[in-house]
Amino acid sequence: MKPKLDAIRVCLDGAIPGTIATCSRDGVPNVAYLSQVQYVDAEHVALSWQFFNTTRRNILDNPFARVALIDPITAAHHRLLLRYLRTEEDGPLFETMKAKLAGIASHAGMAGVFRLLGADVYRVLEIERVPGATLPPPPPRANLLAALRASVEELCLCSDLDGLLGRTLDCLERHFEIHHAMILMLDAAAGRLYTVASRGYDASGIGSEIVLGDGVIGVAARERTPIRIGHFAAEYSYGKAIRDNLARSGLSAHMDTEIPLPGLPGSNSQLAVPIRAGQRVLGVLYVESAQERRFGYDDEDVMVSLAGGLGAAIQLLHHGPAEHGDEGRSAPSAAAPTAAAQAGPPLRVRHFAENDSVFLDTDYLIKGVAGSILWALLRDHAETGRTAFNNRELRLDPRIRLPDISDNLEARLILLSRRLVEREAPIRIEKTGRGCFQLRVDRPLVLSHVGASA
Amino acid sequence: MARSELPLLDDELADFVRGAVSITLAGCHESGVPHLARGTGCRVAADRHQLTVLLAASAGADVLADVRSSGRVAVVFSLPQTHRTLQLKGDDARVVSLDPGDPTLAASYVDAFANGLQALGYSGAVIRSLLQADPADLVGIRFTPASGSLQTPGPQAGQALRS
Repeated sequence: MKPKLDAIRVCLDGAIPGTIATCSRDGVPNVAYLSQVQYVDAEHVALSWQFFNTTRRNILDNPFARVALIDPITAAHHRLLLRYLRTEEDGPLFETMKAKLAGIASHAGMAGVFRLLGADVYRVLEIERVPGATLPPPPPRANLLAALRASVEELCLCSDLDGLLGRTLDCLERHFEIHHAMILMLDAAAGRLYTVASRGYDASGIGSEIVLGDGVIGVAARERTPIRIGHFAAEYSYGKAIRDNLARSGLSAHMDTEIPLPGLPGSNSQLAVPIRAGQRVLGVLYVESAQERRFGYDDEDVMVSLAGGLGAAIQLLHHGPAEHGDEGRSAPSAAAPTAAAQAGPPLRVRHFAENDSVFLDTDYLIKGVAGSILWALLRDHAETGRTAFNNRELRLDPRIRLPDISDNLEARLILLSRRLVEREAPIRIEKTGRGCFQLRVDRPLVLSHVGASA
Repeated sequence: MARSELPLLDDELADFVRGAVSITLAGCHESGVPHLARGTGCRVAADRHQLTVLLAASAGADVLADVRSSGRVAVVFSLPQTHRTLQLKGDDARVVSLDPGDPTLAASYVDAFANGLQALGYSGAVIRSLLQADPADLVGIRFTPASGSLQTPGPQAGQALRS
């Protein structure tokens, strides 16, 4: 039986560098090493074009190439006959390979030398198994399909977004042995992703932000494609993303409104997968590990599938009849008197109109949409003593500038609620039913507004 | 190239191609389709004009056929520890039977190469499995390097040995 390309993907991940042979128009053979062979689909691979060299000249003259690949575990040796089709100089495939190459270059001590000029796409014409001895394959680490099935079944049981996000991270730990993970939601209007859930870090980083296009997470969201790196790559690291972020954010940087991104020190393997609902990107599921090459093509496949299930579930909870059925009628009209429960010195709450940032005394809490939500709630509470709210009225509230109707308000509330807990604020948001929640204020507040309109 | 010329390889390069380097050969079929094979050792003539690359005939059958029909061959030698890479090309290549010492040369080459990679963290067993060949299956490709270039990735990649 002829081997299929998907069956030999482990050879493409570059543990043992592949080689390529090409021929000039007048029949002179040439050999070169390959930094990267990217699986495109069952019939295509892409090779990284980094230099104007003999290989490049040859394939433009004579499109046939032979590539030799070796299984890093069993030593099985395969040769592929390829035909050059085209070069992609931007887009998802290019960005996937660019990120991966950055990791490979850094691993090989070639950072700054390897630069991706293009992704050369080839059709696979033949795959030949080269005769020779092989070692027995190791027992499989885990059955990824079984883990995926178990996870998706668990996600189906979740009835609210908060539970869904937590359960997703649980599943990564229990079924996939992935212990460092984050879920970020996309604020498309702001061109940023914000962290709503994380697992395995010293600080949760809830509320931290990534600009679209920054690091593996930002590139995955912008290009709507998984980005996977098997070695540390400085140019895709958080350190750089944070520095860039700070440099760009100007005034708000002076106001110290940056929540540090969580991140694994010594992270070597990183995989960021867009969470999609149909064609829309809702966010990014991100996993990482200190182990090199922890995530392979199969891991990427199951994470894409899991993120697909997560995206569908988020969309269902967002638009599902459950939330809308409840939230209109369930807001209890009785606003419990709260002044009696408040104790301690007054807390100064400042709201800055410029970016909707909210500070509790001198400590930064939150900004953006979540900041404007909190400010609206606190003002209503101050003016009327009101404590019960529901999602539907918030969506329609002109004081809260939701980027668009499809914005995931629930995710903003989760973010706000987690930040309040993490900052040990005397203000809490507690869910009281589907689509409705209660504001709890344990200390007297002094509200002050800074900036344009109040 | 006249045999009276200086050989393309100096002593240092001759040592390099005989060292614990990865060896890959390519040939070109008359249809323009390239073929690839792994080498399992290299012998350099005393005058350094010719070299003989050993390979398993069963795994390298297509390259052997290309060499028999065209005489052209390209061989790349690369040291994984430094990425130093040298490509040599010839157009007088022919397939030769082994010299008496060649099976031993091939065996010690595989040992040296596997040990070197093992020190880098690769599996020695995988390399041995990949390169071990039945001595009865070994043949040689002998050629005079007519051109050569250093291809270590970086600014000097592609630099010709003799301009």
